Amino acid sequence: MRSTVKSRYIRYTLLLVIQVLLIYLALGYGTRSFEAYCPFGGMESLWGLFTHGEFSCTLGPLNLSLLLALLLLVLLSKKSFCGWACPIGFLGELFGRVGGMIWKKRPRPGRRLNGTLKLLRYVVLALSLVFTYKIGELILRGYDPFYIIYSGFGHGTIGAISYTVLVILALGALIVPMFFCRYFCPLGAVFDPFSRLGLIKISRDEDKCTECGTCQEACLYDIPVQSLPVVRHRDCTNCLECLDSCPENEVLKVRASL
Amino acid sequence: MNIPKYIIPVLVILTLFGGFYLRTAFTQPTTMAAFGESEGTKLECVVEGVKCKGTARFFTMLYEDVPGISGIETYASDHLVVFTYDPSVITPDSIRAIMEAPVLLNDGSSVQVFKCLSMEQE
Repeated sequence: MRSTVKSRYIRYTLLLVIQVLLIYLALGYGTRSFEAYCPFGGMESLWGLFTHGEFSCTLGPLNLSLLLALLLLVLLSKKSFCGWACPIGFLGELFGRVGGMIWKKRPRPGRRLNGTLKLLRYVVLALSLVFTYKIGELILRGYDPFYIIYSGFGHGTIGAISYTVLVILALGALIVPMFFCRYFCPLGAVFDPFSRLGLIKISRDEDKCTECGTCQEACLYDIPVQSLPVVRHRDCTNCLECLDSCPENEVLKVRASL
Repeated sequence: MNIPKYIIPVLVILTLFGGFYLRTAFTQPTTMAAFGESEGTKLECVVEGVKCKGTARFFTMLYEDVPGISGIETYASDHLVVFTYDPSVITPDSIRAIMEAPVLLNDGSSVQVFKCLSMEQE
């Protein structure tokens, strides 16, 4: 448990720095819009760039360069961005931890239901890209928690609908940790096929492991680490919660392997 | 091969900085308009109010029939506008006055939409 604190402190420090930077930009300080730091904007800008040589709406080169850099990161270290730098993931995690204090025994969605609901993020990805590519504007901003929160319900949000989206996501996160990330995040869907290939992963010493399941309890995505020799799961963010929660020494390790 | 676990946050930070510096490789304007000769003096302005494609297009429209302006490129994510102009016909101060002039709305009221925060001549 000693190193749990260390890893999570470092992770939360990094996430807090990113939150502060985004709030700073969202309040109008700095020369860029906070939207410039959305890597999914890079996906949305691709069509406009290829067809007209222009970025859509408020998107710019930073959206695209961040997306490309993060795709490289996924190939190196799975979805580390999601666990270590995503501001929405951080809020989802905090709500999940609050939920953990509320529930005596948190209801877990069954494996089949969980798997089916995860398909929703591909639907969100397809809808986002089709609408953006057809219209050339970011018309789904009103449903995007990143935009709704950091714009402070600004231009492009849709009143009661945007409030409802946030309330549903917040309540969902109290029940299922990382509710948005698991079921709705389109950037997660973009990363999925590359995440399995990620070079740096958690590996488990099957001889030393007692299969107590503490690692799965600690995992924000409910990955059954205790039954996997190597965690290749597409949802793994290398957040190190499993590794740090393990009561045994040297059972879970960070390894670089193909 | 075992690796230290703190390599992960280091990689994340390096990636974010790498992405930030890589952006110059993808610099493309939000809008581009040429009204005449492409030759001329360049004037870079950071303009409050140029924040998306819609506002960039509206901004460009303000200069469509202005003598001496031969081209405008906007970079909405940086609130940057690059004018190509003929200094013998129009001055930077006149260019600034056009963008900062109040715009008449449908209800008869007027409002200042754009504000020039800085100007730099190439």
